[in-house]
Amino acid sequence: MNTFLVSAGHEMLNTRRARTAHLLLFVFIGMIIASSIIGWVTNRTVTGVYEKVVADGLTTAPNPFAGVTPLYYLRNAVIYVVLIGSLMAIVLGVQATLRDRKAATTDLVLSRPVGSVSRLLGQLAGLGVVLAAAIGISFFVSWVIISVINGAPLGSADTGRVIIFALLSWVLLTTFALLGMLTGLRSKQETTALLVPFVIWSAVAFVLPQIGTAARPVSLLNPVPAVSSTGGYFDIVSMVTGPVSVTEQFKSASSIILQDTAVTGNAAFSILILVGVLAVMTVIVVATPRSRMRSGLNE
Amino acid sequence: MSSTWVIAQKELLDLRRDRLFAVLIAFLAVATLISVGVAAASFRTQLDAYNLYVQQLAASGSTTVPAAPQLFPLQLLRGGVEYLEILGALFAIVLGYGTVAKEKYRGTLQLLLSRPVGRFAIPAGKVLGLSVVWFVVVALLTVTTTVAILVIGNATLQGIDIARILIAAVVAWLYLLFWSVLAIGITALSHRLSTGLIVAIVVWLVFVLIIPQIGDTMDPDNQVPGGLFAALQIQKPDELKVLANFAVFDGIRNGLEVSSITKHFERLSFAFLGIKDKYNQQPLGLVWADMWGYAITLAAATVASVTFAVGFTTRRNLQRKIS
Repeated sequence: MNTFLVSAGHEMLNTRRARTAHLLLFVFIGMIIASSIIGWVTNRTVTGVYEKVVADGLTTAPNPFAGVTPLYYLRNAVIYVVLIGSLMAIVLGVQATLRDRKAATTDLVLSRPVGSVSRLLGQLAGLGVVLAAAIGISFFVSWVIISVINGAPLGSADTGRVIIFALLSWVLLTTFALLGMLTGLRSKQETTALLVPFVIWSAVAFVLPQIGTAARPVSLLNPVPAVSSTGGYFDIVSMVTGPVSVTEQFKSASSIILQDTAVTGNAAFSILILVGVLAVMTVIVVATPRSRMRSGLNE
Repeated sequence: MSSTWVIAQKELLDLRRDRLFAVLIAFLAVATLISVGVAAASFRTQLDAYNLYVQQLAASGSTTVPAAPQLFPLQLLRGGVEYLEILGALFAIVLGYGTVAKEKYRGTLQLLLSRPVGRFAIPAGKVLGLSVVWFVVVALLTVTTTVAILVIGNATLQGIDIARILIAAVVAWLYLLFWSVLAIGITALSHRLSTGLIVAIVVWLVFVLIIPQIGDTMDPDNQVPGGLFAALQIQKPDELKVLANFAVFDGIRNGLEVSSITKHFERLSFAFLGIKDKYNQQPLGLVWADMWGYAITLAAATVASVTFAVGFTTRRNLQRKIS
């Protein structure tokens, strides 16, 4: 068996045995599944609020939720992918590379006729399969729950949208897993290896969008986009920070895919950015020199 | 000198030399400053739009002058409070974890335990050291953001505003201390050091991000950009009357939110700083009358966290630790 497949298989085995990774995986899968139920309960209540407002004669405005698609119930899942999924992917990525350095098994592995590129790509593939499994399980159960709520299985068009959303989630999570692998390979200490990608994640998820839109950091956790400030400073800055805010690009593309009426535009540009960032991160990680892979920790 | 104070001093010295700690605090300070700058820029944009609107009204011959947007300087701190809520708590966890982990990594744990230190001296010393560190950090952040309000926000502050900022600083200190000390306890209890950090981060994820996020997204008013009731042009008294019919749902939603210590910190800070409209420009006594319950739970949670850390950071737990 070649290096790539052995490394991928080894990575999957390690993740299956790592109890801390399970904790995050369970939280992620549980919350994605719960998101449909939260969405359903909220939608029912808001519809009730609207009907009460109309009955009291307080408005003549149309129901803002009239004609929402069944995929509306999945919109909280977008946030959980960004919040829980990204952190889970970072932890998996850090552990994948740090594990070998801590136990000094890299020296042993690289003493064999093993290419570093195949080794790293194999580890990435193993992580990719684990992430795909977590996403697959959680989105399949969500599909079942939404079908039950609607009283009929989701149609092929809606199912296709769920699949595209799942694929896009995989792209985002794999990017963060690569970030974790990178810091796991480059950091001198375990704490730094875990902390640096968390700081980068928080800067990308919270600070960058705020600079360009004046949206409150906490409002960025809401799937409904905040009203952005526009004009002068904000137009220029959002042009620069927008493409770099990968989590915002993910939220925007996912909302469009899930036909959220609060988000308009074309998802193609955002998808292109997400795939581009994934490609760049893959090249950066795979280009790690053998000497760096073999370096010990300075704890 | 008691061994508790010696250990506290050692923590202070360690953190003064720790580059990672310096980077984290610098990141937090920069993010807070950015939030003040962005809020000020947003206000200026609103003011420009207002001035343009007034000019257009005047050009069209109208004599109506709509009310100008008003700057309440402390509301510029909203983003900073939210950064402390999220990033501050995360960095506090890392700091708390680090105080236990470094002893193992550096091999100083055995040396420390070979000395005649009391049962509670190590955890109490670390908690005391961290409380001093967070006091200094909060003081620096408070001074920095106050200057930012004056310089970047181009605002003026009254004596009462300074008092409000100081109350918010005390609340922030308690909140950050809670997370650091909780991380000490969790790390001490965990068999593996990395497990301690990851478990602490999962707790952070649940209480800082997930629970408030669920509470926020279940709020009927957060279902439409700009607010559901604003979109339906419903006035506040009517909104409250309508929502009274959904008391069970709102009770569950609010119950979820108040189960998170982060919401206690947020509600206290927002109330005293006047960020929440209901408390803006209101006397401190009135704010306290509504908020004392939150103040007590935040203080109680911090005391419970300290008790947990001191109780579980035992010689036995520390010695069984593996990296």
